[in-house]
Amino acid sequence: MLHRLESLESCNYNGMDVAVLERQAARLKWQQQNYVVQNNNLVELCASSMPQFQGLIGSNIGSGQMVQLKRPEVFLGSGDFQEFVNFPVAGAEFGDSEKLDLVPPEAAADYCISRTSSCQMTALNTSVMKEEREDMVLEKMESTTGSGRESFNKRKPEAVADHKGKNKRIKGEGESEVKTKCSTEISRNSSKENSKASEVQKLDYIHVRARRGQATDSHSLAERARREKISMKMKCLQDLVPGCNKITGKAGMLDEIINYVQSLQRQVEFLSMKIAALNSSVQFNVENLPMKEFPAYVANFPAAAKLPAMAGLPYFQLNPLQKESVNCMLNESILPAQTATEGIASASVSISEQSLSSSSMTQLQPFSTWNMDPQGSSSNLTVIFHSSSIVRVEYIRIWHLIRYTPDTDTS
Amino acid sequence: MDPRKIMQPSFTAKYVSYLVPALTNIGKQASPSVGRCIDAEKIVRYEIDMALALSAEGFAWSHALEHKLRLNVDNHNHAGKSQSYLAHDDDHRNTMPVNHEPAAKKLKVDRTRSEPEAAEEEEERLTYLRKLIPGGSGEMMVDDETLLSELGSYVSCLELQVNVLRSMLQFN
Repeated sequence: MLHRLESLESCNYNGMDVAVLERQAARLKWQQQNYVVQNNNLVELCASSMPQFQGLIGSNIGSGQMVQLKRPEVFLGSGDFQEFVNFPVAGAEFGDSEKLDLVPPEAAADYCISRTSSCQMTALNTSVMKEEREDMVLEKMESTTGSGRESFNKRKPEAVADHKGKNKRIKGEGESEVKTKCSTEISRNSSKENSKASEVQKLDYIHVRARRGQATDSHSLAERARREKISMKMKCLQDLVPGCNKITGKAGMLDEIINYVQSLQRQVEFLSMKIAALNSSVQFNVENLPMKEFPAYVANFPAAAKLPAMAGLPYFQLNPLQKESVNCMLNESILPAQTATEGIASASVSISEQSLSSSSMTQLQPFSTWNMDPQGSSSNLTVIFHSSSIVRVEYIRIWHLIRYTPDTDTS
Repeated sequence: MDPRKIMQPSFTAKYVSYLVPALTNIGKQASPSVGRCIDAEKIVRYEIDMALALSAEGFAWSHALEHKLRLNVDNHNHAGKSQSYLAHDDDHRNTMPVNHEPAAKKLKVDRTRSEPEAAEEEEERLTYLRKLIPGGSGEMMVDDETLLSELGSYVSCLELQVNVLRSMLQFN
């Protein structure tokens, strides 16, 4: 966004200059869809009209906060640029209102914001604007003198909300309707523009800021919104797939995802073959896990002390045998992380065997209902989560093997 | 990823609760002949995949997977076999070298590739991903966004599945 700063810095900030105003008005006329420039002009005007602001603006430019002042530009409608013809009038008003300190930048912002609301009006109600401007002065003061961009960002939505509230108060019901039409107006009106521009920020709509040189027609805007969503999802996937932190670029990410998915699928295949082999030949090992070994678990679920199987699990329509296996499996999850996988394994396999033996049947007691216990299961969550990290560690370990050698599963 | 943490215990519970009895059933039914061993593998694979589909309800891929599995069972019922839900394992492996090639190409000429070519590559990869994920070519995952979300959940569930299976084997 530095290029915007440059254009600002090139402006003449030395006092109110009618020639500057005229020049800017002319500029506005033939740069109709150029929101940024307009906003620049607004800010220039304000700065020029309020010399005492120079320092503030300058500091803002330096710190990049000037960019934030542009944020109200997103409220600019592309709608009726005739309104900007009134700009010199507004500028004159800025000059008149010198008595109000810190008015112009806020006023500029306000102007932009009120511009949003009045984007379909052909006649600009400057007096109303002035009221709003004054109302907004304090808010904008806070925002522009805020410590940083972040504070500005935080206050901006408040300002917007306040502004919209005030709009409704001052201008009446037609306001909100006008606003809701804004974005459609904008997309229609700006369909032919190719210069840098921004879109009206509509709370109901997905707002997208156009970058320099990007088209602003509705198709490309929707396309851009879609692309941003996709990039968000790609970032989520980046968290999921191990070893993707350094990879930038969609194609590389997709490549990694493909590799990871294939690796997982191959692992499943391999494990299933192993299980099939074991299943047919050997019975799963039996390890009885008495409840008393898991005091934490028992503490969470006091009923468990009496029963071999655990309550406190989601109701899965399980038969008693399955419930037992589920219980013990989750039971094991209370164990420390390093033994988590062991616990889960032994529990699950032991139950399968237990379910077969008649003696174990007497231990099982059917449950009519199982209560979901999110609190109790939270400890399970972290422990079980550790076990999945083992998969990822191993994946990273064999990542190179997969890439550079024939597939070898090492599970 | 928080949704994943929330999903894990319920997924694992469901998975084990489905799979373990299913496996014991297979164990009971299977006769120790060689021919049946192959079938047992397929059946085990079927059960494993079905456990995955049932443990992760609510995703497009899980519905597609379940549907595909049931179809496969119906088709092969007379033979008593069921196949992996993946495109035939042979095809699956054959397509892999192809996939690595464009990856290598991409790595070498990453910066110099022009945009349309990069977009093309992305498209290639996306179509390949669609083959990998069950139901990827279906109508539920037509747009890329949905595809990527489904991929996220699919990857998590695969991880969980691998964990469970590995745990089951580890202490046998």
